[in-house]
Amino acid sequence: MAANNKTYKPDALTTNPTLLWIAGVLSVVMMAPVAWLVGLSIKNNQELMLGTDSVFRLPYTAVNYLNILQTSRVFGWFFNSLVVASGQTLGVLVLSSLAGYAFARLEFPFRRTLFVIVLFGLAVPEQAVIIARHQMFNWFGLHNTYLGLMLPGLSSAFGVFLMTQFFRAIPKEIDEAALLDNASQFRIFWKIMLPLTLPAQATLGIFTFLHGWNDYWWPLISATKKDMFTLTVGIASSQTNFAQSEGLGFLASQAVFASLPVLVVYLIFQRHIVTAVSGGAVK
Amino acid sequence: MSASIKISNVTKHYGALTVLDDISLAIQPGEFVVFLGPSGCGKSTLLRMIAGLEDVSAGTISVGDARVDTLPPGQRGVAMVFQSYALYPHMTVAQNMSFGLENIKMPKEEIKRRVKAAAETLEIGHLLERKPQKLSGGQRQRVAIGRAIVKEPKAFLFDEPLSNLDAALRGRTRLELAQLHARLGSTMIFVTHDQVEAMTLADRIVIMHDRRIEQIGTPMEVYQKPATRFVASFIGSPAMNFLPVTAVQNNPGGLAVTTVGIGTLQTAIHPQAGFSPRGATLGIRAEDIVVLPQGQTGTPLKAEVIERLGDRSLVYGVLEDGTKLTVEVDGRSALVIGDSLHISFDPATLHLFDESGQAHRTGGD
Amino acid sequence: MAKTYRRSQWSHGLFILPYLSAFALLLVFPLFWGIWLSLHKVDLFGPGRFVGLANYVRVFADPVFLQALRNTIVFVIVSVPSLVALGLFLALALNRTTRATSFFRGLFFSSSVLSVTIVTLIWRFVFIPGDGLMSVIFKHLGAEPIHFLSTSGWSLFSIGVATVWWCLGLPMMLFLAALQQIPADLYEAAALDNASPWRVLTRITLPSIARTIMLVTIIQIVMQFQLFGQAQLMTNGGPNGTSRPLVMYIYEVGFVRWDIGKGAAASQILFLIILCAAMAQYVVSTRKTEN
Repeated sequence: MAANNKTYKPDALTTNPTLLWIAGVLSVVMMAPVAWLVGLSIKNNQELMLGTDSVFRLPYTAVNYLNILQTSRVFGWFFNSLVVASGQTLGVLVLSSLAGYAFARLEFPFRRTLFVIVLFGLAVPEQAVIIARHQMFNWFGLHNTYLGLMLPGLSSAFGVFLMTQFFRAIPKEIDEAALLDNASQFRIFWKIMLPLTLPAQATLGIFTFLHGWNDYWWPLISATKKDMFTLTVGIASSQTNFAQSEGLGFLASQAVFASLPVLVVYLIFQRHIVTAVSGGAVK
Repeated sequence: MSASIKISNVTKHYGALTVLDDISLAIQPGEFVVFLGPSGCGKSTLLRMIAGLEDVSAGTISVGDARVDTLPPGQRGVAMVFQSYALYPHMTVAQNMSFGLENIKMPKEEIKRRVKAAAETLEIGHLLERKPQKLSGGQRQRVAIGRAIVKEPKAFLFDEPLSNLDAALRGRTRLELAQLHARLGSTMIFVTHDQVEAMTLADRIVIMHDRRIEQIGTPMEVYQKPATRFVASFIGSPAMNFLPVTAVQNNPGGLAVTTVGIGTLQTAIHPQAGFSPRGATLGIRAEDIVVLPQGQTGTPLKAEVIERLGDRSLVYGVLEDGTKLTVEVDGRSALVIGDSLHISFDPATLHLFDESGQAHRTGGD
Repeated sequence: MAKTYRRSQWSHGLFILPYLSAFALLLVFPLFWGIWLSLHKVDLFGPGRFVGLANYVRVFADPVFLQALRNTIVFVIVSVPSLVALGLFLALALNRTTRATSFFRGLFFSSSVLSVTIVTLIWRFVFIPGDGLMSVIFKHLGAEPIHFLSTSGWSLFSIGVATVWWCLGLPMMLFLAALQQIPADLYEAAALDNASPWRVLTRITLPSIARTIMLVTIIQIVMQFQLFGQAQLMTNGGPNGTSRPLVMYIYEVGFVRWDIGKGAAASQILFLIILCAAMAQYVVSTRKTEN
């Protein structure tokens, strides 16, 4: 007998090296545009004008990145994005934690009805409210202010939904024990439940931050002054004379620079981000 | 420190579903009472209603002289030990035990003193600075009890606290709980579905089934004089043998009962008025069946399965007409499968239940 | 007689009050205000005049709207199946947890955290005529470069490529999450039953995640119907509006031409479409809990 004297591996059925190889090839395709972008960003603009295939040849330069340091605009936009995304994150965490705790644990009249209404909010796309919201913010003079850029993010039902899920995952006996320990509802929330949801807070926080940082629609409409642009709108606005390919390398370096913060956040907090996106949709 | 507990006409509905129906029960100060019943009988719900973790649909609950069902849980003066222990995961053992006392603004020194005393009693003094995930199951269990003790409650409520422990630890903890009760003298209510825990711990057992209390009594009362067929079947292992009654005859010494399988037996039972043999059953515990010595003739039984438990063996056999019967024999018995043995019955150990499951016994009590 | 204690208390509602205020003010009110606006003739200067459904009639009579609607539907029909199929493939390929699969998972999801501005910039660098990566490759192969962003048909296709590249991470992660939920003993039972890998895939894996496939499809339909940034930044809807999606139409009518009533009407139509998809999602996600 042609002896197959290798020990049988039970995992063999579920693993398929061919699939993994195809995924590897796909990942190269996936990264090619990024590599191209990085390549452009480290080339001299004049050289690129003669032909972008020079990306594949020496010399490379950091001059585009040094130029970013001199154009103060990008830093201003960067700061705006930071303020808006941080403010939104803080607000969403506070509102969602309080509401999520109540929906998951407390009993009060109309709780179910209110929760269904809030869930319904998940189905309302931004486009359905954006025109009216724009008018409202006009009445209160909120356009071109940080507050005006932050506020719409606070109404997101996603955070409430996610926090409700997280609070539900804590064993009920823990807060019942606290209730028997004569703690007030707020004390239970603050001293017992909130510390137990710290990983969840991180998950929602990072997710909200990224969302706020990457938002394009609302800042595009609300921030009309160049000083109040967020990084997304700012970078978009500086692409206008793209076709002439003036400063292709500079544009590329701006894109790399603008995406670095989110990529760093992503690298550090990958697990939290994945939990947020998959926890919100499945279940 | 220990108080009586009085439950009056308490009912619990969830929407249209009734889980407890008009329950009344009085517990003496310092008494150890066990709520025993199969899962879903409402025993945990009743305990949680005393604690205030479930709303009372109707009726009242008092602890000591004060009505407590009007109060939020923290103000009822009871402490609870949960099945999962429910320790605060982010707090140390000491913080876990202090939390409830801090909430009532007790002076710091007094908190310290009580935590220290309780920790000594439970021999967990060396664990005070650890967090729960660093503790074994048995240690967590002690911390949960410690958290209850420091509050010096009027009553302790235990919700199946032993079921998450392994068998050996469960036995030891059971013993320690009994010692703790003896030392503290507190009123304790203990919920379990395990009859051994109930029999060993309780001053009185409250047997619950299907929304109602079936019987309240000392362990020996519920074992020897089950008030209903349910109690008879639930208490004792192996379960009591039940034989359908076909006819009865009233004799001066007691009722003569004819059953399927073993024919007519003279009992010492004087049933209450209105007893009807229709749907009635005769109950006999396996250990109450007398196995006759070789040579004597009684009711023949053929052994089908023999479970050897060491000190005793259980013989699952069939009577001549195919009726099944379980008999306990001495552990040294050399009986093998297929053997026949002869058995007889002691009139004083027979239990008679009518169609509704109500027990009828000697003197009509 | 004293009232018995109830766990349900009005005061507990205080916990949801802050969020509920934000929800009512920033979502519920604008939603209804938007509907009101869609029934009125409003411009930047004057208050509204009630015009009934006239705005809706104007929207549906607008060939630009109809073109945008058609573009959006074509875009959804092509991009959603691509996303679902690719996401599913990657999830199946990367289901085991090893160093390599973790790396690939992280890599395929990484594009999702970028903003639309960056994504479009990257893909414009790929597609621009003359200087783009595609042009360089075509020239190298001696082929005539395609003007991807300014040719009817190719422009929407380019937007689709950028979108799939950008959004691929979410379906993959959702499928992975679903695959991990399948009990391992199912596969062990199948191994003992002598099932081939193909039968394991078609008879165990896929049926087990059928609900997730459905959910992911609906989520992607909802998301891709809202296509905006990619189109606005890559092609600006061109050429001749052949890559203009619905949301861009709303943007142009409402915020460029300031025809607020008409813009609001168009946005309500989009809302209705998305609401239907969301309802389908709700039905799918609750159906499992019933059985």
